[in-house]
Amino acid sequence: MIEARDLCQRFASGGLAVDALRGVDLVVRGGEFVAIMGPSGSGKSTLLSILGCLEQPSSGSYRLAGEEVAAFDERTAARVRRERIGFVFQAFNLLARSTALENVELPLIYAQQPARERRRRAAGALEAVGLQDRAGHLPSQLSGGQQQRVAVARAIVTQPAVLLADEPTGNLDSRSEADVLEILAHVHAGGATIVMVTHSREVAQCATRIVHMLDGVVDADEALGAATPSGAAAR
Amino acid sequence: MSGVDQLAMALQALRANWLRGLLTALGVIIGVASLVALTAVSAGAREGVAADLRRLGPNLIKFDGEFVSLPGGGQSATDRTITRGDLEAVAGLPGVTAVAARQTVEGLPVSAGRIQTSLFVSGITPTYLRVHNFAADHGRLLGSADEHLASEVVVLGPQPAAKLFPRGNAVGRNLRILDRQFMVVGVYARKGSLGSDNLDNTAFVPLTAAKRILFGGDNVQSADIQAARQADVVPVMDAVDALIHRRHRIAAARADDFSTEDQATIITTAASATSTFQTLTLALGAIALVVGGIGIMNIMLVSVTERTREIGIRKALGATPGRIQAQFLTEALVLCIAGGLIGVAGGVAAARAISALAGWQTAVAVPSLVIAFATSVAVGLFFGYYPARRAARLPPAVAMRYD
Repeated sequence: MIEARDLCQRFASGGLAVDALRGVDLVVRGGEFVAIMGPSGSGKSTLLSILGCLEQPSSGSYRLAGEEVAAFDERTAARVRRERIGFVFQAFNLLARSTALENVELPLIYAQQPARERRRRAAGALEAVGLQDRAGHLPSQLSGGQQQRVAVARAIVTQPAVLLADEPTGNLDSRSEADVLEILAHVHAGGATIVMVTHSREVAQCATRIVHMLDGVVDADEALGAATPSGAAAR
Repeated sequence: MSGVDQLAMALQALRANWLRGLLTALGVIIGVASLVALTAVSAGAREGVAADLRRLGPNLIKFDGEFVSLPGGGQSATDRTITRGDLEAVAGLPGVTAVAARQTVEGLPVSAGRIQTSLFVSGITPTYLRVHNFAADHGRLLGSADEHLASEVVVLGPQPAAKLFPRGNAVGRNLRILDRQFMVVGVYARKGSLGSDNLDNTAFVPLTAAKRILFGGDNVQSADIQAARQADVVPVMDAVDALIHRRHRIAAARADDFSTEDQATIITTAASATSTFQTLTLALGAIALVVGGIGIMNIMLVSVTERTREIGIRKALGATPGRIQAQFLTEALVLCIAGGLIGVAGGVAAARAISALAGWQTAVAVPSLVIAFATSVAVGLFFGYYPARRAARLPPAVAMRYD
């Protein structure tokens, strides 16, 4: 599903060049649930950003579902994000002025779905995260855990091949964390490929594989026992 | 994404900050309103000139005798210089269709029964009423029979008719001018005024009768010369000048003892008094529109900065740069369209108010509304483009990290 070879990312700030990634190789098969761990500055968020086509690597190759997307133009990147990728962020990133349902509908608007179909699928996604009775609420009227569940619903409403989650439980209390992880596990069980960045060993335990990063390279790669439809680690 | 979705998004974003939106649109509102009001005023003035020309008679040249200064400070044409022979010679010039002589005495006492007033009494040839587009409201106007017979008949203006015959129907009744009796044969329809001259306060009698009874002599103070076409007015005027110079044997160095003037020029000059003011205000309206556009650009740039994170989120969810650009452009357009509509309504209201308060004639033309509105839309597109483009070009990863 994901095939990244020798990804490098160099940020120039002022006269100083910072290498966030220094040759990352990562292969994720369809149906895997990969947790990426590592200390701050190890490059895990940058890697996720590249995997999500939010930024281009300075060099290297990235194939997503067989399509080379490392050197994309903006329009292609938007299409790839729209069709293949769902995002969940640490900060939820819901639109404050839109209701839960409208937030979930947003990717479908950009995917040119007709209004009736949008509403139906968004309502279905909200139901999948257990928030069908909060559809008309604004984000400010929801708890953090509920907001993150809305964000998950928004990420899965297009049924993307890959779900990318950046510290999805980083801002949540333990109870909400458990809720969100349960939903992610459920989505994974439904066949989705998930790549999740996390600090927490505990959170990482619900993945099928943990990739450790250090100083911009993959430091260690461990398969966890949990059985998955397509098996454990590659590479 | 459909236009409806696009519009809904724009409205939602604007509603969140509606006061700012309104203030931003104010420049456009003021600009469009002043453009609409001013074109209405100047179209009204143009229409007023056209209406005056229709009302007062087309293609006329005023031909006056020598002016003398009055003790009160004014000037008046005298009958010292224009002779019947002059008029006959003028009538023979090519391009002249009518020569209407007129001899007026101001403030003659006129009475009917016990009611007395003072009027402008004008002796005229019957063509005078025709070239000036007079119409009979009651009875009839003067005819050539009245002229030939020097009949002692009078056509009254609507004001003296109402004053002298308060119970109505002046036609067929008698009145006295000085000590002579005249029969009222008609009342002419309201004419309004030309400049400061009240045109509804005159009693017209046949020039022949006036000469015999009231004034004596054979000269006239003035005549109105009608040219066949508008284009003939100036050549005819030159020909009249040359002819009268010759007939009066006026040497080049001496002052003329007559004058000619194009009536259209008199009317246009009176109307153009307001035109400088109009041009100025029109320019101000255009400036307001441009300033309004800059205001919209400014606020849209602020909005793009404020919503950097939102732009990042939308891009992460699959919005193409084109969609983001369309979204921000739609917001600018909605501001300008709303501003344009409010401005058009405000401009029409202002034109009405100007009509009511200043008494200027105004004419709101639909094309001018369309143009003003289209201008505001163009302003929205022009000034909204750059901020929208800037939003579209934000790299999503950077936008997402923005706080």
